[in-house]
Amino acid sequence: MTTAGGFIKAIESGTKHLVIRRFTLRYPEQKLKFVGDGYQFDPKRGVGIAGYRGRHILIHDKCTGCQLCAIACEGIAEAIGMVKVDEQWKQNKKAIMPQIDYGKCVFCGLCVDACPFYALFMTNDYELSSFTKEHLIYTPGQLAIKPKYQGDVEIVIDDRGATHG
Amino acid sequence: MTSLEDKVEESRKLGLQIVKESEEDRLMTLSVGPQHPGSGHFRFIIKLDGDYIVYCDPDPGYVHRGEEKMCEYRNVIQNIPHLERPVIHDSNNVTYSYSLAIEELVGIEVPRRGQFIRAIASELNRQVYTLYWLAIYGIFLGHSTMFMWPTGDRELFIDLLEALTGARVTHAFNIPGGVRNDMPDGFKDRCIRQVRYFEKRLKEYEDIFYNNPLFRQRTEQVGVLSKEDAAKLGVTGSVVRASGIPYDIRKAEPYDIYNEIDFKVQYMKSGDSYARSYVPFLDMKESCHIIEDLLDKMPESGEVRAKLQPNPKGPPGEAYRRVESGRGALGYYVVSDGTPKPYRVKISVGSFRNILALPYLLVGQKLADMPAIYWSLNYWPVEADR
Ligand code: SF4
Ligand code: SF4
Repeated sequence: MTTAGGFIKAIESGTKHLVIRRFTLRYPEQKLKFVGDGYQFDPKRGVGIAGYRGRHILIHDKCTGCQLCAIACEGIAEAIGMVKVDEQWKQNKKAIMPQIDYGKCVFCGLCVDACPFYALFMTNDYELSSFTKEHLIYTPGQLAIKPKYQGDVEIVIDDRGATHG
Repeated sequence: MTSLEDKVEESRKLGLQIVKESEEDRLMTLSVGPQHPGSGHFRFIIKLDGDYIVYCDPDPGYVHRGEEKMCEYRNVIQNIPHLERPVIHDSNNVTYSYSLAIEELVGIEVPRRGQFIRAIASELNRQVYTLYWLAIYGIFLGHSTMFMWPTGDRELFIDLLEALTGARVTHAFNIPGGVRNDMPDGFKDRCIRQVRYFEKRLKEYEDIFYNNPLFRQRTEQVGVLSKEDAAKLGVTGSVVRASGIPYDIRKAEPYDIYNEIDFKVQYMKSGDSYARSYVPFLDMKESCHIIEDLLDKMPESGEVRAKLQPNPKGPPGEAYRRVESGRGALGYYVVSDGTPKPYRVKISVGSFRNILALPYLLVGQKLADMPAIYWSLNYWPVEADR
């Protein structure tokens, strides 16, 4: 190709994009849609179920206070600490449950794999920013709340290019 | 017109003396990085004679975190999240060879579907890494469009990996024994659709960047690494392939199901910066075919992960396995003493081996060619320091 031809080709392929739709995701007006309700562990197959790995959810009436999640996290981020809870559960005689420090957690989900009673899962919630470090520590009570995440945007591809819509 | 000699003679008569500049006075030492926006967490000291580089001393080590030592205090599963930190853009390939080595030590057979998913994830991740590398190469050479396009198109693969693994960048997906979870529903169609669209985009990349006369002038015949030198220096990945040696671990030492996939090893002969930047592009094209081929040949259902005890441990022994990462051969040497924690882990990375070529390539080049040569070596500072 000649030099001039190369320049014309390059400019042409760039200017074409003036009329093609933009690919940008307009967060926070738009939010991405995720697969499922977050990463979970399938007791029957012994593998995880695909899903986004965001903040955890703790199912209080399944957690036995066995600390296996905290032991798993010990060598990873030391994000899980076991704390006393006020309520009495019959499966949880010691009345201890995990509390997670999101200033340390790396969202690997290996604590979910470790929990033998399927009490700890992950959710689609990733908006965890706060003004103080203390607010990043989620108590068992906070972890039990199901997050409200509304994501409905995905990548759409057609003849006019790709966009988030 | 008086010649220089006449002028010298004249000044002698006047009692003046001309002192020749010594070489030390003439050379200027420049420290590029670690705060240079392009160098990454990395410094190289160069000496300049006018506009030409006469000496180069790479000085890595600013982000050394002791990954290898950290491995000795954690069990094999707990090691996965921190091992992918050196190259978060290529995290599936980093944990791939680690998983292969542990599997060999513990003696686990990975289910067939698990092997396929693992290979797909690693190919998708290779694209993410190469696009990121290409974006930085573009902005290094002052081509802002080539920064924006790959950064945007990277989202196509990040989106796929997010659906597959649950995380956008640090996936922690490979695990000794297979993968953490099965594919979500509808993943195959989504993957094929986005990969096909990306293939169309690659043609535009070629028009605006690789065939652009400006880019060609800046990179062609710049920093030529001959075939013999490449072999002697032991460079790997796209750098060795750009010098005319078709060496790819996926072909030379196939792991998992790569021996069932047909693909060509992409290489070029010229060994200059252009070839070193074009080979990753050819790799991206080839990766698109590999992904489609993998999706095609994948068994429809089946196990994805072999059962493991909570604290997997094997008999005392050692294993060395490597994979082709975005930056070349990436090997893990793991020694086990029979306990759940590895006795020693040694990581051999492509970045460190490629940067050894930098002093040889830079000498005799102009300073303005430094970015074109440096970043074409496919170097990731954090990985080299690990
Ligand atoms: S996701 Fe990983 S880092 Fe976070 S609490 Fe669980 S094990 Fe720890
Ligand atoms: S969440 Fe699971 S692993 Fe953690 S203490 Fe409760 S039951 Fe045990």
